[in-house]
Amino acid sequence: MLLSVRDFAVHYRSAAGTVRAVDGVDLDVPEGSITGLVGESGCGKSTLGRALMGVLPDVARIAGGSVVFEGRDIIPLSERDRRAIRWRRMAFIPQTAMNALDPVQRLGAQMLEVLRERGGLGRAPALARAEDLFRQVGLDPARLSDYPHQFSGGMRQRASIALALALNPALVIADEPVTALDVIVQRQVLDVMRDLQSRLGLAMILVTHDMAVVAYACDRVAVMYAGRIVEAGTAAEVLERPRHPYTMGLTHAFPDVHGGTSALVPIEGAPPILIDLHPGCRFAPRCPFAQARCRSETPGLVDGVACFRAGEAETLRDAAARPETWAAP
Amino acid sequence: MSQVISAQNLGKTFHAHGRTVHAVRDVSLSVAAGEAVGIVGESGCGKTTTARMLLRLEDPTAGRIVFEGEDITHRRGAALLPFRARAQLVFQNPFDALNPRFTIRRALAEPLANFGVPRAEHAGRIEAVMQRVRLTPSASWLDRHPHELSGGQLQRVVLARALIPGPRLIVADEPVSMLDVSVRAGILNLLRAARDELGLAAVYISHDLALIRYVCERTLVMYLGAVVEEGPTVDLIERPHHPYTRALVAAVPVPRIEQDRAPLPIKGALSDAPLVGPGCAFRDRCPAAFGRCAVETPPLRELSGRRKVACHLGDPA
Repeated sequence: MLLSVRDFAVHYRSAAGTVRAVDGVDLDVPEGSITGLVGESGCGKSTLGRALMGVLPDVARIAGGSVVFEGRDIIPLSERDRRAIRWRRMAFIPQTAMNALDPVQRLGAQMLEVLRERGGLGRAPALARAEDLFRQVGLDPARLSDYPHQFSGGMRQRASIALALALNPALVIADEPVTALDVIVQRQVLDVMRDLQSRLGLAMILVTHDMAVVAYACDRVAVMYAGRIVEAGTAAEVLERPRHPYTMGLTHAFPDVHGGTSALVPIEGAPPILIDLHPGCRFAPRCPFAQARCRSETPGLVDGVACFRAGEAETLRDAAARPETWAAP
Repeated sequence: MSQVISAQNLGKTFHAHGRTVHAVRDVSLSVAAGEAVGIVGESGCGKTTTARMLLRLEDPTAGRIVFEGEDITHRRGAALLPFRARAQLVFQNPFDALNPRFTIRRALAEPLANFGVPRAEHAGRIEAVMQRVRLTPSASWLDRHPHELSGGQLQRVVLARALIPGPRLIVADEPVSMLDVSVRAGILNLLRAARDELGLAAVYISHDLALIRYVCERTLVMYLGAVVEEGPTVDLIERPHHPYTRALVAAVPVPRIEQDRAPLPIKGALSDAPLVGPGCAFRDRCPAAFGRCAVETPPLRELSGRRKVACHLGDPA
């Protein structure tokens, strides 16, 4: 396993109290696969991605657990040792490419800086590598002399992918890399990522709110809700035979461009505020299948699903397909 | 069906830095009571400018707009006030559409006061609209402030604010794009119900064809300021005629493992310097472009089944 996360927790300080943004997460990322980390805003998916990269904001702290990457736990490492991993072994693609790119520096200069200073390449090999990286993401190497503002949104995202890949990382963490893009550009960028992943044998964590993006691009998926992973497995298993009621609800909650016009079914309510959490499953207040035990005990992730009623998944799936199941009480 | 709004040959030209930009060219669109029409396209295609012109938030530089039988194209100031009450925008971002210092009650009373609704009617109108957007019992919501509500709840208030003056037309620009997936369906269902029950005319602006399919019977596809295809939504998505629509439909990911992953039938990227002069604006990205496309701008021509397309392919003429 390339990356194994166990009982991982990240807390934020806030005026209202401690926010348990990531709370007891287990996640495995195998070599050479794209894992979708999917969930709604505030579920902790971006915090988890940033914590794995070691780029959390000052108000956040790692509150427990381990992250074993390429055979060693990287959480106890010093900032200096983390920096040695960052970019070389594990790279990051932010949602907005402008956050990865320096607006006042030509793209070529930025690539060369990374390749020479961090990768230790000489000038000529670094330039050749930069040109090759641009070609790999579908950009014209002649445009290395452009500034980021001369690029469209899609081109900037390609450039930030090229920059992330500069030092041949084993794992790339991409935080909503296509969310800000138009649908055609989104597809083209996803195709670049899939192509690179398969040619270079990279592992990738694709953080997204969009199940359709997961279905299109990912081999595996982990569904996050209120700071915890509620379901994980191959994309086919999770999307076609969901075992957690939240995943079941999500699959009926948004329109399919080739689907019918039958009514969509919202999941009533909202996720909990992650301060002063009550015991029990965090989805229980919105779950049509919740029982007494769900409100008093927190289910762990067992065999890829964190639900006490996972054994009845088939029956629950049938019920979840009926709109009246999700009607507000 | 009576047309609530009818726009003919709308155009918007901006002049900046010595350049003339045709943001919208020759867009015609009519929406009947109880009908929902979608305008779909990528950023910069002119869909939002078109919507803003329909609401007279932006002055058209060409064409005319007839609303409930009256030409409102050149109306200004106070003369537009009755129209403003009857044509409402549903804001995209619920997190900044409401004044954070106003209670929900005040946010809803404000448009009533602006449009001269007698005070005695306010409480009743507020209660009715809260029922319609399912924020009940209303007493438990009306004294709260926006920061006490979730995104989905705020969007219900935004919708209530648009409905409370009693509009005949609502224009929704990406009405759920800022919301979480699990609550989007609730807002879309409310919009559908409001349209059906009140017989509203609705215009939805979105880049998301799946959403448009869910809420709109008829759809216009825009590319670089012009309508390239138009027709009943399901027919248009399942049998697109224009090469751009084909690419747009093919690009939408679907939430299923089995799906088409073939390369998109489109070349290059949207250029920031649109082609000028005659010819099809899509020709440099079109996999099927031929000689005629560079010399003659294809007009939006009628096909059977209420379909229209602006493409020389398959044109007998």
